[in-house]
Amino acid sequence: MANKIMEFRHVEKRFDDNVVLRDIDFEIEAGKFYTLLGPSGSGKTTILRLIAGFDQPTSGEIFFDGKKINDVPANQRQVNTVFQDYALFPHMNVAENVAFGLQIRGVKKAEIKQRVAEALKLVQLNGYGEREITAMSGGQRQRVAIARAIVNEPKVLLLDEALSALDHKLRVQMQTELRQLQRKLGITFIFVTHDQEEALAMSDQIMIINDGTIQQSGTPVDIYDEPLNHFVADFIGESNIVPGVMKEDYLVSINGQDFTCVDAGMKPNERVEVVIRPEDLDITTVDKGQLVGTVDTQLFRGVDYQITVHDIRDHTWKINSIHKTTVGAKVGISFDPEDIHVMRYNETEEDFDARLDSYEEDE
Amino acid sequence: MKKRHLTWSGLYLAVVFVILYAPIVYLVVFSFSAGTTMENYHGFSLRHYADLMSDTRMITIVFNTIIIALLASLVATIIGTLGALAIKDTRGKVKNSLLSLNNVLMVSPDVIIGASFLIFFTMLGVRLGFISVLLSHIAFCIPIVVLMVLPKINELSPTLVDAAYDLGATRWQAFSQVVLPAITPGIWAGYFMALTYSLDDFAVTFFVTGNGFSTLSVEIYSRARQGINLEINALSALMFLVSLLLVLGYYIISKHGGRHHRVVAVKEGDVQ
Repeated sequence: MANKIMEFRHVEKRFDDNVVLRDIDFEIEAGKFYTLLGPSGSGKTTILRLIAGFDQPTSGEIFFDGKKINDVPANQRQVNTVFQDYALFPHMNVAENVAFGLQIRGVKKAEIKQRVAEALKLVQLNGYGEREITAMSGGQRQRVAIARAIVNEPKVLLLDEALSALDHKLRVQMQTELRQLQRKLGITFIFVTHDQEEALAMSDQIMIINDGTIQQSGTPVDIYDEPLNHFVADFIGESNIVPGVMKEDYLVSINGQDFTCVDAGMKPNERVEVVIRPEDLDITTVDKGQLVGTVDTQLFRGVDYQITVHDIRDHTWKINSIHKTTVGAKVGISFDPEDIHVMRYNETEEDFDARLDSYEEDE
Repeated sequence: MKKRHLTWSGLYLAVVFVILYAPIVYLVVFSFSAGTTMENYHGFSLRHYADLMSDTRMITIVFNTIIIALLASLVATIIGTLGALAIKDTRGKVKNSLLSLNNVLMVSPDVIIGASFLIFFTMLGVRLGFISVLLSHIAFCIPIVVLMVLPKINELSPTLVDAAYDLGATRWQAFSQVVLPAITPGIWAGYFMALTYSLDDFAVTFFVTGNGFSTLSVEIYSRARQGINLEINALSALMFLVSLLLVLGYYIISKHGGRHHRVVAVKEGDVQ
């Protein structure tokens, strides 16, 4: 990578006997928006704290701009953090909070004033400098916290669950603003969240973390379309995950019924898991359906209907459709070979990429 | 007009406060009496206040008491605040034992503490007087300060210090520019509590005052034993006034503490 700004090499973190991170390996490119996505307790915040310098790795190396920074204390790193609870200083007003970092570094007063004003303008809080923190709403405090971090012109900005305290509407608005801000500043953002929608919406790259390891990393589209394992498929979006058998290349058997698919490179008759996204399943007439079943439930969700259908082999399918159906009706379910995604058990990310390359070249 | 009901709870409250304040009112009223005893009220006069002002021994003792209180509460506030910060950084069993040791000093009878100080100072050969009184006052004020400051420290989000480091602050800068200002209201509260405890302490002081040095409460006690003198009433009235002012000062500071207004933890949805 030409302009990689940060790298983790075989990083492990333990608290006493408790292993929080095991063998974490990744590179961060400058100027991109990264998201660390995982359930609570997965270790994603620990990675952030290692980058910020609040914690030190038990073993392994962390590089920043080509230099090893394992022992560089937090106050000397060119990294700033937006905390989950914002961590604004309650005894200072908005401008004083934003100015704190510059003041510590001994920047001249006139320059501080100007840069604080610019930062507040960037987060659309111009004119709020003299306000007390207690007089600001949740969303405004969020912006102050962002302004306080970016005013120092860090090379990497860390955001720890930065939007999770906001209500849904404000959160969606802030997602857009954060993304715009990142493009405008060209700073690398590393965003930690447990909200998969947030991750898909904002990121250039997503790293899925679970159980102290990186499960999969890639662009939002890659991860959504080609999840590596059960955890990723289940965690990102809604999905139907069914056990199956890979009879031969491009032919998978689900519940004893054969379907053509676009996956290959596996052993004959290998046991696999099959993922089909609910929005890829279409409701059709019984004679046109590849599967036949009865509608169990139907929920209207505004953009679509969430429908569950149990087929004649008694397997329940989740379907998202913009067309209405009737509960109790006999329907057919149809889908295309491209809608089937096959996952092998215990496949590593490298093996997965290699397998994909091997048969995609053949075509 | 709002109707005022005489409720049982209101009546109860009134009776309690009358019982609590009646002796003080009685005492203050007689301080303005022209007579020399409290048997009958002989008309308004300020003669006891005049007596008090010309009593140089008493004036000296008042100053001793104030100096002891100011010094003791100042030193206790510094030590107690540092102690509270140290307790915050400990964990589990150590923290609990430290807190328990602190609380034991709060609940143990003053007489025991006074007696133990007397034995302690005698053993060490410290001459009883100003120093012994000051040291013992500092000692019993520290637990009070710790108890007042600790909740403020616990209220601080741990990320606040992280945020200061993150923005480039050294440990000292994080402490002096973030932690200290944020817990200042607690420190003031501790200082005022220590001040009032020191001002009105009798039991501990009684044990550790030597010849030639005395504080107000000890002096009043010894004078009262020789018979009621209305000069004491005048002095008590003045002290009561000072306590009222102290309470008022504490109220104002806790209401408008910090720079602009009271410091509160940043919570979600204070203003939405």
